[in-house]
Amino acid sequence: MKQVVVHPERCVGCMQCMPACAAAHSRSKTLFGAVMEKPLPRPRVHVGVGLYGEGFPNRCRHCDPAPCQMACLPGAIYHSPETGTVLINPDRCINCASCAMACPFGVIRYHQDYMAAPGKTVAVKCDNCVGRQADGLIPACVEACMARALTFEESDKALKRKTDEMARRVSLGAEDRAPVESPGFNLLNAFKRAQLAVEERTY
Amino acid sequence: MRSVIIGNGVAGINAAEAVRSLDSEAEITIIAGESFPPYCRPMISMALEGTVSHDALAIRPPSFYDKLRIRALIGERAESIDLAKRAVITGGGTVVPFDKLLIATGADPRAARGERADLKNIFPMRTETHVKGMLDALKEVKHALVLGGGLVGFKAAHGLLARGIPVTMLIRSGYPLSMQVDRPAGEMILKELQARGLEVHVGVEVERFEGNGAVSGALLSDGSHRECQLVVVGKGVYPAVSFLPPEIEVDLGIVVDERLQTRVDGVYAAGDVAESFDVARQTRWVNAIWPVAAEQGRVAGMNMAGRPVSYRGSLSRNVIRIFGLDVMTAGLVNPPDEREYEVVSRIDPARKTYRKIVFRGDIPVGMVLVNDIEQGGVIMNMIHSRAALMGPRDRLLDRSFNVKQLML
Amino acid sequence: MAMDEKRFAAQTITEDGQLLLAKAERDQVETVWERHKAQQPHCGFCEMGLSCRICVMGPCRIDPFGEGPQRGVCGADADIIVARNLGRMIAAGAASHSDHGRDLVEVLLEVGEGKASGYKISDPAKLRSVAAEYGVASDGKPDLEIARELAYAMQEDYGTRKRGVQLLARAPKKRRELWEKIGVTPRGIDRETSEMMHRTHMGVDNDWVSLLLHSARNALSDGWGGSLIASEVSDILFGTPKPAQTSANIGVLKEDEVNIIVHGHNPIVSETILRATQSPEMQNLAREKGAKGINIVGVCCTGNELLMRHGIPMAGNHLTTELTLVTGAVEMMVVDYQCIMPSLGDVASCYHTKMISTSDKAHFPGMEHREFTALNAAEMGAQVVREAVENYPLRNPDKVYIPGKPITFMGGFSVEAIVEALGGSPDPLLDAIKAGKIRGAAGIVGCNNPKIKQDLGHTVLARRLIENDILVVDTGCAAVANAKAGLKSAGALEMAGPGLKEVCGALGIPPVLHFGSCVDNVRILILASALANALNVDISDLPIAGSAPEWYSEKAVAIGVYFVASGVYTVLGPTPPVTGSLNMVKMLTEGLNDVVGATFAVEPDPEKAALLIRRHIEGKRKALGLPSLTV
Repeated sequence: MKQVVVHPERCVGCMQCMPACAAAHSRSKTLFGAVMEKPLPRPRVHVGVGLYGEGFPNRCRHCDPAPCQMACLPGAIYHSPETGTVLINPDRCINCASCAMACPFGVIRYHQDYMAAPGKTVAVKCDNCVGRQADGLIPACVEACMARALTFEESDKALKRKTDEMARRVSLGAEDRAPVESPGFNLLNAFKRAQLAVEERTY
Repeated sequence: MRSVIIGNGVAGINAAEAVRSLDSEAEITIIAGESFPPYCRPMISMALEGTVSHDALAIRPPSFYDKLRIRALIGERAESIDLAKRAVITGGGTVVPFDKLLIATGADPRAARGERADLKNIFPMRTETHVKGMLDALKEVKHALVLGGGLVGFKAAHGLLARGIPVTMLIRSGYPLSMQVDRPAGEMILKELQARGLEVHVGVEVERFEGNGAVSGALLSDGSHRECQLVVVGKGVYPAVSFLPPEIEVDLGIVVDERLQTRVDGVYAAGDVAESFDVARQTRWVNAIWPVAAEQGRVAGMNMAGRPVSYRGSLSRNVIRIFGLDVMTAGLVNPPDEREYEVVSRIDPARKTYRKIVFRGDIPVGMVLVNDIEQGGVIMNMIHSRAALMGPRDRLLDRSFNVKQLML
Repeated sequence: MAMDEKRFAAQTITEDGQLLLAKAERDQVETVWERHKAQQPHCGFCEMGLSCRICVMGPCRIDPFGEGPQRGVCGADADIIVARNLGRMIAAGAASHSDHGRDLVEVLLEVGEGKASGYKISDPAKLRSVAAEYGVASDGKPDLEIARELAYAMQEDYGTRKRGVQLLARAPKKRRELWEKIGVTPRGIDRETSEMMHRTHMGVDNDWVSLLLHSARNALSDGWGGSLIASEVSDILFGTPKPAQTSANIGVLKEDEVNIIVHGHNPIVSETILRATQSPEMQNLAREKGAKGINIVGVCCTGNELLMRHGIPMAGNHLTTELTLVTGAVEMMVVDYQCIMPSLGDVASCYHTKMISTSDKAHFPGMEHREFTALNAAEMGAQVVREAVENYPLRNPDKVYIPGKPITFMGGFSVEAIVEALGGSPDPLLDAIKAGKIRGAAGIVGCNNPKIKQDLGHTVLARRLIENDILVVDTGCAAVANAKAGLKSAGALEMAGPGLKEVCGALGIPPVLHFGSCVDNVRILILASALANALNVDISDLPIAGSAPEWYSEKAVAIGVYFVASGVYTVLGPTPPVTGSLNMVKMLTEGLNDVVGATFAVEPDPEKAALLIRRHIEGKRKALGLPSLTV
């Protein structure tokens, strides 16, 4: 079963996954249409800034067992095993925010949504684009990410890649293929960290 | 293996499900004091408010017991436990033998004090039956009286105010929810409710209720008089332990270890009746709230089924939306000793946001968030797992922070 | 709250800034720092220069990790995209400075034609000497005629007719020959900017080195063209700066006077306002309204212009501009163009402050527009000042907060002033350098940037350099930062190393010399040229360096490039958007040495930047055969 895998070291903070996600969860399914809709569609992935000014795409981990599911008072949150997705039923949701209190990653938001009853504020979070997947598409955030910080693959495959990368790094005489990195991005981040270190100094 | 569970609140239900998921052969019996299908107790105040229908309170269908092959003794209460015979005897005389026993009897509301507290339409707010009674009386109610500013009294007041009924609330501290919030947040909450028609009196009790059959007024200890056609009593709960034999140690609640087992082998306790280790306070405590009962029930059930699982400890926590304010709290909000604890906070009275985090060393042990609560769970989980914060503390005071700022 | 004070100390080293940030929070005024935080994380594609919006086949981005797209739709790779983006930044920066110069030349022309209202020739000697450089003979001619002819000649520099802008002649011969050899001699000021826009259009210049060379040329058309003209014409019209005592920081605002702040760049407006405030009629009106007088102060470069020529105090630099309004004590802020945040109108609306825009080129939300021209300047200035005075009674005393006392210091160092202070020739300075009492000189220039704690970069660098006997000259926001930090005041010599202390003490000058506004960066080039010519070497042989520790603007990119292209090693604090092309990075930090004899370095830590500069200076000393140290 394919899952969205996050590679935080690749995130350049461009936030393109966010409008792509919002557009994918709109009625019109296009960016231009989405911005005209009421209620305004909102992203379910949240790119924030890390400690060193780097970007990080914060999305639902679809935990199993899911703390939000266990905390949900009316039982609106449920697990779909076929896609490994934790979903919220907007009709059962009572907007009590117990799920926000339970979620260790802070990925749940509360707003109106065209899938919920009109005028009703409900809990909203990533749904793994199960609608798109059913149509043979990949999750919108993955499609938008040009830096390949979000990939859609079997988690085994992703883990194997990581293992191979590590192996190449630590072993001598390994295959010549260098791990995929960006010296330019590393350089930029090195400057940002150096800048931060200066800020922390007291004079 | 015969698993007997006393109580069909969320602790009992989760325990039953946990046992069944690990042991398909176990004989599970639930002694269910309430006849209504298993329901969400925190939601009853929303039924009072009218935002949720009574039927929506149920969190399991009536077929729940059959589906999981649970023998349910509906409407029965446990009267005593015979430890020698390892059996529970119900009020109806049924003897229920057990190999493993879970006491999840919850807590009972304290009754109102004052003369004539037996008049009609004076309710505690603990069960769906209580709320049904309130809803039946509602059309005659022009003014309500709420005793107590804790979670129950507060939610009742909020629900009634949302229905447009003016409320007089009698509280002991200067602001409501004094066990959950600190003074700045408490005062913001008080102001919000007062703007919606709440009248608050501090340090005043009811001397005498008045009425003909049903309550129509109350004489207060400061000499004043209040007309009221509905009284809600939120003066706290006490664990339902009266029927227990002395071998089962009871302190603030039934004393349990990290497997949720009592002093007696094979006898467990979970939920509002249990006293376990409080992670924030770092001492034994009873946190009689829904998520604690839910998690304890599940852990107790796993242990009963033979899977040794440690309970990480309880943590008081609460989230509530009150008209224009959202409040989320967890852990030790009012540190007892300023020297050992460090408080970081930021208030913006004009924007109505307030955030306070209590640290002990590098570990957060308590938090209060007024508005901008969406990411409160991140801090709450840090408190619950006792994760030390390595980065700058004031990041946590921002309305929104990326979890990557906390990565250690 | 203790937490909050620490929070503001994280944003600025200045005490007045911290206190005003606290007030801004109380008054619920949004500042540049909050907006900066809300923008985080910045898009890495853009930070690396890897995003391109030049055509609508795109917009495109290049994946720095090698897996996503590696070329734009047109086929441009990372090197080309980075080079094009850099080129356009320089074009914008050069255009800004040069347009500022153009406006001054137009005023000079109007003065020459007798039509300008309220402007005159203040330094006729300079008029004549600059005219001579342009081949305009002076003998027997009245000043106004010379002014006319000079203006026409300068306007020619802006066009397509020439092979090189006139004032290049001031650069050492070796430098000019180098520029000719590599093909970067700037031919016309507008021409180079226009050609840059052409080259960076899709499908024109697709060689990153070629683009970089034209970038150098475009920048030089600013440094030896537009900015130089701006600085010289300002001296002609308003006077060549002389050292004088002045003061800085928010304490220059007065509780009992009408406060007017001038913001922007061109002294065409600020000088007019200054004169209007001095009129007896306005002074009387102020007293009628209950004020003791009219207090005009500056922020940013136009403030620097008034400071250099008239000792007018400075209320703050770039990041302080919003905070000046937060004092609640400002009756009016008059702006022209460049570096003026569009948020100022919002901030002003929380107080009684009137915001006035003056240039058709620069309209802003929340500001009333009063178009200033050379012809109406005097009346417009008077009208505007009257409105400011009439606004005084509307000040709300409960909202007023002017923290702290101003710092007094010495400013006003034009090249002419320095040479005069040295006794008429640069020789004493050269002797001090040769002897090693002064190791060399460094220019600290540029802006503020919320990415860097305000003024931290400038002041730490300046301190380290003067501690090590390096004379510092500064301009722009950096100059204000160092002034506020006391580096130009009476006690500053104590912070300097023994050699610098001795020399500056003898000359009666501070160890950090306030050189003026950002167009006055050319004064640094002039001084460098004078020293190079005296020693018969090229600028790149001198023991000097430049630094922009907190830069933000496109103008700064142009300045940095014209410095390096003129042979001055320049250390930058914030990282420019070029890391997407390691070829470009290598060229800017190493390769340029072989091309122009100088390079850039990027170093966010001012302590390390100081070491880089010191090492560079000692290396140049050694190469010149002067006693040198190993750093």
